[in-house]
Amino acid sequence: MGQTLEKRKGILSSYSRRHSFVGFVFAIPAIIFLLVFVLYPVIYNIALSFTDASLSAKKAVHFVGIKNYVRMFSDKLFKQYFWNTCKWTFWSVLGQIVLGLGIALLISRPMKGATAIRSFLLIPYVVPAITLALIAKWIFNSDYGIVSYWLQQAGLIEARQSLLAMKGPAMWVVVILNIWRSYPFPMLIYWAALKGIDREMYEAATVDGANKWQSFRYITLPQLKGTTMVLIVLRTIWTATYYDLIQMVTGGGPTGSTTHLPILIYQASFGSFQMGYAASISMVLGVLMFICIIFYIRTGAADD
Amino acid sequence: MTKKLLALLLAVLTAFALMAPAAMADDVDYSGEKLVIWTCLTADAQYNVLYKQFTELGAEMGVEVEVEKLSFGEMIAKLATASAVGEVPDVMHVNFGGTAQLYADEALMPLDGIIETIGADDFSDAYKTVLTGADGHIYGLPDWAMHTSVWYRKDLFEEKGLEIPTTWAEFKDVAVALNDGDAMSGFNIPLDGVQVAAQTLYELMCSAGVYFLDPATGEYIFDQQKEEAIAVIDYLVDLYKSASPAGSLAWSWGDYRNALAVTGTVAMTLDMGAVIGNAQGNNPEMTAKLGCFDFPGVDGDKKASFGSGYCFVGTKQDDEVREKLVTDFLIALYTPERAAERALSRPMFAFPSYLPAFEIYKNSELVAEFQTEVDTIMDAFENSTWYWYGMENGLSPMSAHIEGTNIFGVALQGACDGTYTSEEAYELINDDLAAFAATM
Repeated sequence: MGQTLEKRKGILSSYSRRHSFVGFVFAIPAIIFLLVFVLYPVIYNIALSFTDASLSAKKAVHFVGIKNYVRMFSDKLFKQYFWNTCKWTFWSVLGQIVLGLGIALLISRPMKGATAIRSFLLIPYVVPAITLALIAKWIFNSDYGIVSYWLQQAGLIEARQSLLAMKGPAMWVVVILNIWRSYPFPMLIYWAALKGIDREMYEAATVDGANKWQSFRYITLPQLKGTTMVLIVLRTIWTATYYDLIQMVTGGGPTGSTTHLPILIYQASFGSFQMGYAASISMVLGVLMFICIIFYIRTGAADD
Repeated sequence: MTKKLLALLLAVLTAFALMAPAAMADDVDYSGEKLVIWTCLTADAQYNVLYKQFTELGAEMGVEVEVEKLSFGEMIAKLATASAVGEVPDVMHVNFGGTAQLYADEALMPLDGIIETIGADDFSDAYKTVLTGADGHIYGLPDWAMHTSVWYRKDLFEEKGLEIPTTWAEFKDVAVALNDGDAMSGFNIPLDGVQVAAQTLYELMCSAGVYFLDPATGEYIFDQQKEEAIAVIDYLVDLYKSASPAGSLAWSWGDYRNALAVTGTVAMTLDMGAVIGNAQGNNPEMTAKLGCFDFPGVDGDKKASFGSGYCFVGTKQDDEVREKLVTDFLIALYTPERAAERALSRPMFAFPSYLPAFEIYKNSELVAEFQTEVDTIMDAFENSTWYWYGMENGLSPMSAHIEGTNIFGVALQGACDGTYTSEEAYELINDDLAAFAATM
């Protein structure tokens, strides 16, 4: 009996080892992918940030310690660009989430032509950034842009002026463009999440005398908490590192008022060819994104 | 007699023997070879002419030719990347900034021999200087050249009884006099972040004798001309506030050319002549109303001006056959007809740098009605000093840095919108350039 048990344990152990091995083999492509395309670039970037590496093929690379970091934090403009990144990200994400939720609430109700309306609302998400940028530059042109014309006629901006040439409003323009382009993603996610909320909870609340606001406040919002956390983290990461739109609409101007860290990284690497310095800026952005990820994981763990 | 005959025979044989390598070299078989050529001229009119000439020559030489377009905006970054991985093209038609980048990466072959073969005297000295490296060799074959002038509305000058200004003060007075409420600005200061702001500043700098690098030594000199540079920025800001549309802070080339030549909402602008092409294409009636004059010096004595141009470069090759292939290909591009055709493919006022082509250019129908402007610009080319930014003393990577950085936009837009004083704007630019100069 004892021998049979030992034999069975041995067979099970062998099966378990074989099973683990097979699982590992299946995971190898993913592991290689992560090593080559995630771990290696991250480690390479960290190493690069401590050098004076240049894009120029003929310049020798030297270890410079924390010189790039000292330069970055003592740069007169870096602080401004850092806050620009925060402003751009915060307002963009807030706008996307609020607008996405609002529209999701509207389209989650039964209505005629719901599929067509939902498809229509997805259009901004599939508009190429270059198209949006060109149209934006056109309608905000100081001489013939229709929006500029309206604002000039209303006396809100001076003649032959454009919001894109004004350091305060330029950021708001690109934020609004970004919200317009990106809200469909939260909208879709919220719409799917709303479908998952048990209708009986609303019916019970109605029986208890709750009005629509109370139902929204005490049932819908708590039920969407997990979805919202995921969206905030994902959209923050995507928005903070989103480069195309600002580059094409304002190029980071005027006066650097729309320059955020991705633009600064591009400028340092492909404008000035200072790859080491660009890597150090990337590290700052990377650390910020890492904090977001930690926050996401901790929040997820708390929910569990 | 026999001895004489033998000596003669020996001499003839020796002569043949000496000629043999040359004859063999001329008959090099290029079949199976391929030339990769890049150009950053993406406008159809220009690209089509280049493509036609490249493929014609390729067919004549029995060589496969692959032509690739490079958008102007990504050119410097792409050249740097290509150099870093050793994948530069064999031949490139490129501007000075791109040439400087390839030179800094030690990717170019010297072209002194080719210039001698074509005819050294057939190229303007100024162009040979700007394309000369620190080692004294020439690394670019000048193709065509452009010169910054003030393009203006002749009809408005006449209407208001204005004279061509000869000093900075007069220029500002004329610009202010041309202002007409919200409908017309006397001048414009386009300051789009990358390239445009730097170009606007540089024409003013040159006219005042302020440079980035010392024209005599090539040393970084902008930090030694602080007061003069601040005065230039002061003047730029003054012109912006007194005579430029508020939105010009974000204007690029297309915006200011349209404003002068198409919508007619600006009376004067700095440009290299493409405004005429804009007028011809979009507002033909405006064409005859436009003229040009040289931007004045501070007190009338203009020190220099901002010139530009394109050239051909050849990159280092692995073996002698390929090097000769590139050499022969480049030489064949320089017939007067081909050079003139290339210059004329630009909308207007790109002068062939190969002087034998100039007569064909000047007599072409395209520029027939602009003889005054052609003479004005040609005079500025040949009889005055001009520089390309960062290459005041020949090829320098500073030029590519100036082309790529946005610091000029940040600083000058800030000076114009009140974020920075002129001194602060200067400091921003100087800090950036000085840091780069230290790495050169």
